[in-house]
Amino acid sequence: MSLPPDYSNEISALNREILKQQPADTLQFCANFFLRRLESQRAEFLLSQQHSSPKGRGIAESSFPGSNPFGTSPSGGFASSQMHRLEEEEENDTIASPTASSFPPNAMDSSHNSPASQGTFGNFAGFGGSSKGNRSQPPSALGNLEPQSFPNNYNMNRRTSVSAESLNPASSANDNWTPPYHQKSDDQQSRLKAAVSGNFLFSHLDDDQSAQVLGALQEKPIPTKGIKVIQQGDVGDYFYVVENGSFDIYVNSSGKLEAGPDGLGNKVGTVGPGGSFGELALMYNAPRAATVVSTEQSTLWALDRVTFRRILMDSAFQRRRMYEGFLEEVPLLSSLTPYERSKIADALETKKFPSGTTIIREGDVGESFYILESGEAEVYKRGVDKAVKSYQKGDYFGELALLNDAPRAASIISTTEVKVATLGKNGFQRLLGPVEGIMRRNDPSKSAHSDGDNVDPLAK
Amino acid sequence: MAAAVHKLLHPHSHGRNSSKSEPEQHSSSPHERQDSAMDRAREDEKRSLAQWEEHKRPLSPDKVASDPERKMVGHSSRVLRQDDFELVKTLGTGTFARVWLVRLSDAREADQDKVFALKILRKVDVIRLKQVEHVRNERNVLAAVAGHPFITTMVASFQNHDSLYMLLDYCPGGEVFSYLRRARRFNEPTSQFYAAEIVLILEFLHEKEGVAYRDLKPENILIDAEGHLKLVDFGFAKKVENRETYTLCGTPEYLAPEVIRNTGHGTAVDWWAFGILVYEFLVGQPPFWDQNPMKIYEQIVEGRVRFPTAMSADARDLISGLCTVDTSKRLGNIQGGAGTVKSHAWFKDIDWDALYNRRVNGPIVPHLRGPADTRNFDEYEPESDSREPYSKDMAEKWDEYFKDF
Ligand SMILES: Nc1ncnc2c1ncn2[C@@H]1O[C@H](COP(=O)(O)OP(=O)(O)OP(=O)(O)O)[C@@H](O)[C@H]1O
Repeated sequence: MSLPPDYSNEISALNREILKQQPADTLQFCANFFLRRLESQRAEFLLSQQHSSPKGRGIAESSFPGSNPFGTSPSGGFASSQMHRLEEEEENDTIASPTASSFPPNAMDSSHNSPASQGTFGNFAGFGGSSKGNRSQPPSALGNLEPQSFPNNYNMNRRTSVSAESLNPASSANDNWTPPYHQKSDDQQSRLKAAVSGNFLFSHLDDDQSAQVLGALQEKPIPTKGIKVIQQGDVGDYFYVVENGSFDIYVNSSGKLEAGPDGLGNKVGTVGPGGSFGELALMYNAPRAATVVSTEQSTLWALDRVTFRRILMDSAFQRRRMYEGFLEEVPLLSSLTPYERSKIADALETKKFPSGTTIIREGDVGESFYILESGEAEVYKRGVDKAVKSYQKGDYFGELALLNDAPRAASIISTTEVKVATLGKNGFQRLLGPVEGIMRRNDPSKSAHSDGDNVDPLAK
Repeated sequence: MAAAVHKLLHPHSHGRNSSKSEPEQHSSSPHERQDSAMDRAREDEKRSLAQWEEHKRPLSPDKVASDPERKMVGHSSRVLRQDDFELVKTLGTGTFARVWLVRLSDAREADQDKVFALKILRKVDVIRLKQVEHVRNERNVLAAVAGHPFITTMVASFQNHDSLYMLLDYCPGGEVFSYLRRARRFNEPTSQFYAAEIVLILEFLHEKEGVAYRDLKPENILIDAEGHLKLVDFGFAKKVENRETYTLCGTPEYLAPEVIRNTGHGTAVDWWAFGILVYEFLVGQPPFWDQNPMKIYEQIVEGRVRFPTAMSADARDLISGLCTVDTSKRLGNIQGGAGTVKSHAWFKDIDWDALYNRRVNGPIVPHLRGPADTRNFDEYEPESDSREPYSKDMAEKWDEYFKDF
């Protein structure tokens, strides 16, 4: 004698709605409710008709194999308690790759369907491979594209997370880590520099970081041809630059190197001197996307992920702490909380000037504030022919620009090559709001006559 | 008491197939041997778990944040054990975790349809995959945030000899990911609704808890019975407060430029990922993609987002503001924090207070046959039987790190 569960569900959903919406016209409300339910279930049904067929599998060559092919998404209905219908896909969908240079209907047909054989490194599917776990389903339907699939072969599967080994700068202070250093000739050094210059992971490095990273590259002789330096499917820890010799690159469509004569898969390219491979290993521990085999006696330079990331981390960490320390010394900013200081430290931009540069010119409208990170500079005022003051590491100037638009009261000229950390008034205000408010926090009287006293020699 | 607890936690079967014999754990059944005080404590605990189900309701952000001791949820239980739950079905698997739909075993009649999601992690795997720190963060952050309306509630956590358990509120709607892939993309109102709930989550995590979530993506957002969102998988969540952090983690398409460049990152990475998420809702795929992950990262670091012509101006403006490489200009990270996102024109129709209190209907309400319906979840392969044992040596070395569970 009990009511069917589906019915009970519908009624309790309706009850919830009535309680929530308190409709004036109950009957009309109930009628609308059921119509909407019907509509959304129908839409849902039609959608699942379109999508749940087995051909939904393996939509794209996937460099991020997931465990959860598209075909197995939820099969239940979903209801829409408001009138939003999910957008159905139009015939002839015009979304092309958002990263392509334009959005023509078939933008990607030309650029991504070409076989992975251009030879340049990194152009074939996902060299460097994918992420942790879930590698059990290699992309099996390669090339089996169907009309409905996304124009640029976007991989529709669930994406797995990635992570590198945890890096903790606090502990590095204790164990006093210094990056390994391997001696190289000037020639080798400049060849290496050229070899990695095109790689975005290296192009952002500052001079110190760059020197450390190049120093850490370790020579790895490859005594003969036929040596597999990396094997597709293996986890990768090293990035390699070719010093001399030559290597062939193979990709097996199964996703990993297999036994037997054809186990290498297809040859997709060659790397020679100045080339490099395996850079994804510098990010996290990912399975190799290709096998790389020497074709003659060769020499490589190798760099491992932990060393690379640690060099970047340590220098970023030290720089930030240094900036925070400098900021603490600026009276104008003494009321910043540690959180605010760290935000400003994050936003400070490093600039380098050669000796003799006028960093600030007396009379100009001030826009930015500077901290001298290294080198020396002198302060000049009109009408005085000697420097009135000199600045060293940790000294700061121009901070009144954060406060008002008054013209600079002196010029600052570098006497050596200098490195400064700088932030504009706009940047400062974007992050923390007006400086007046911050100053007023600990000493309300200060904001009244901010023109000076000991705040900034430039103001005098 | 401690000794008794240890005895209880130590040698009992954790296999879900009771038919399979596991020699070393079979020797004694703790059921017969436990003292009755412990028994009563467990019964009490189970009852309160069952009751929690009844009056789960959103706490205000301040309540969630301020009172970890006095909340009903999020505690580390010394008495619960796997046997207290009947494993019904796998809901999902991660790299080292498996999440089960569970029911209270030997429940009173009235509690029989009370269900939970139980996330089980093997200590061996956690250690092998170097995720000890992440798992600790996950438990502690989940405990701290339990009670937030849009975050999966960790009702309790516990452990035994070789496994860690997190008992979670079951979220029957499945992943937003599945709905999004089937619909291909969401229309603006649907996207706005989900995005707005995520904004409330990030506002809370960042500004009340000092936590960076670090793995925002449709796969980690579930839909609850009423069509609201629940964020799951706090495996990468970390209390950062005012120190930047360096470990690379996340999901390739969603990584922020500062994570890739290893210059130190903080809560701002979530706003970047949030921009990617909104883009993916509206377009059906994220803005940066290539078959070669390195090419994705190169695009991210460059940070030029291209929009389909059909996208509204407000949506573009929001996404551009969020996906800004320079963190000192990134929306959400600048002065005003989450407030600057909430007041963005794209969200002008959102009543934030009504949303937090769940007075607004979700755009998709899952069709369910009852509280234990799992139709919105995929089928998963059964767990493999071969399992590396958690040796005594390992326990000596590592149990210290798991003591919060
Ligand atoms: N409370 C819940 N209710 C329902 N299903 C859940 C719940 N928590 C998790 N799941 C399901 O289990 C899956 C895996 O959970 P989770 O992401 O927490 O595990 P994980 O091992 O950390 O995953 P990953 O390796 O992807 O990071 C989720 O994607 C989801 O589908």
